[in-house]
Amino acid sequence: MTNEIWITLLALGGVSFAIRLGGFLLAQHLPQDGPWARGMEALPGCLVASLVAMMMIKGGPVEWGAGVVVFLVALKTRNLPVSMIAGMLCVAGLRGLVMLN
Amino acid sequence: MTKPNPFLQTDVALGARDVIPLALAAMSYGAAFGLLAVQSGFSILQSISMSALVFGGSAQLVALDQLTAGAGAVAAILAGAALNLRILLITASMRYAFEGQPWWKILIGAHLATDASIALMQSAKNRGMLASYWYLFGGGSFLLLAWILSAGVGSLLSKSIPNPERFGLDFAIVAAFVALLPNLWRGRTDVVPWSVAAGTVICFTAMFPDQSGFALILGAVLGAVTAGVLTNDE
Repeated sequence: MTNEIWITLLALGGVSFAIRLGGFLLAQHLPQDGPWARGMEALPGCLVASLVAMMMIKGGPVEWGAGVVVFLVALKTRNLPVSMIAGMLCVAGLRGLVMLN
Repeated sequence: MTKPNPFLQTDVALGARDVIPLALAAMSYGAAFGLLAVQSGFSILQSISMSALVFGGSAQLVALDQLTAGAGAVAAILAGAALNLRILLITASMRYAFEGQPWWKILIGAHLATDASIALMQSAKNRGMLASYWYLFGGGSFLLLAWILSAGVGSLLSKSIPNPERFGLDFAIVAAFVALLPNLWRGRTDVVPWSVAAGTVICFTAMFPDQSGFALILGAVLGAVTAGVLTNDE
């Protein structure tokens, strides 16, 4: 198995690097305005919206509730560490409650 | 009076400082990877090498899962690549920071791109400027060091650690991305693209539960295409 591990990690490392470089090279050849540029500008937001949707699918009511709390705290404070701590406290508290019942 | 330290005022130091909360969240994930990897038969060197080269938590865990399931190296590489494919979209949006740089800086900068790069670009934007190459370099290299270190610590701890889920540590990364949403929100123009992105992920995952890597890419791309096609920007 140890050879298989080395092959996997070296190849996946190479492919990941090609993906990273490919994104920049691809973007360089796209027009700077018009629909393409509008799409590229919207991309980070759409990617994070997709990531959050995926994370919420994998979670349950505890994660959904804590997600709403994090969102509201972030909206109010615009502070990343504070929002993260609020979310973690919320999850730890809710999980504690679930365990008690 | 303390003298201002010139290094602490550089973009590199600023990037490293801004990435600290994300690095702390990533470290619990990185340690979990190191722990699982060693338990599945990786050596410590292998677990550290994978973190250094692949630099993507979900990709590493999926590849590890495929290997332990006996699916073989090819399946492990493909599954991991599918999850890291979204980084293509991230380096694409980092174009302005790379353009005009010498090739060796582009190669290094590309390797340091992760989901955290979006957060860094957003932090810079909140200060009213564009994230510079060295700012992204500072954040990315600090995160990579933390990531490798945590994989090493997790590998060494592979005996037993207290259940991290009880303390909500696993939620830290979810919280980091949820907290990004209000900052990334540009107004009503984002309603439809974001709904398309999230809706695509939900529908695709309902149909193909094991293909979360592709669901993410499809959601992000369809959302961005929607934003590009809608001509209501003024």
